[in-house]
Amino acid sequence: MTGNAIRNQIRRLRFEHGEMTQQALAERIGVTRQTVNAIELGKYSPSLEVAFRIAGAFARPLGEVFQYLDTNPPAASAAATEMRRR
Amino acid sequence: MSFREKSAWITFILLLTFGVYFGEIAKQLFGAAASRGSYLPLFVLLVGAIVAMEIVMHVFIAIRSPQDARAPRDERERLIAQRATARAFYVLLTGAFIAIGTMHLGVSTWVLAHCVLFAIWIAELTRYGSLLYYTRHGV
Repeated sequence: MTGNAIRNQIRRLRFEHGEMTQQALAERIGVTRQTVNAIELGKYSPSLEVAFRIAGAFARPLGEVFQYLDTNPPAASAAATEMRRR
Repeated sequence: MSFREKSAWITFILLLTFGVYFGEIAKQLFGAAASRGSYLPLFVLLVGAIVAMEIVMHVFIAIRSPQDARAPRDERERLIAQRATARAFYVLLTGAFIAIGTMHLGVSTWVLAHCVLFAIWIAELTRYGSLLYYTRHGV
């Protein structure tokens, strides 16, 4: 499992796009309906290519469709943040 | 349920039935066996039945969802297959080394062959079990 650090707005966006079905979205982006369902539920993090295709299907920027929740930043980046603060 | 998940369930359950054969082999190994030659008809019968059932069941589920059956694997399905195969590989590797180990115990080639066959069976069960696990719980 990927730890579900990536959240997405696919369900809401489907609803806003005329209640687009998972099957319709799957056909547009070239994956199976089960994969769209797994992405929506956070059980699978798609490749960058599929993520861009999903964002393209909704005509939204990638960051609006997917959000990365960095709850445990690596030590190096934490140190860099600390140095910037000083 | 997708075509591929149904397919994995069919193969997993049919593979489980092959346990009957190993049960019989265990009886012959550890119990009062009649003769070691009697395993062959059971082996042929089980393999034949499993292959026939695999074909019939896959044709049946393919007829029910032809579009799904024809569709190529997408990236998630490929990743699931890769991870399941990787797990099964370690199981097979362990089994192979154990089988080699039995050779040093002075066992017959008949036992050695069955150790290898058992390792392959467990590895395949691991592969299909993992496929089902990753499909259900995410990868």
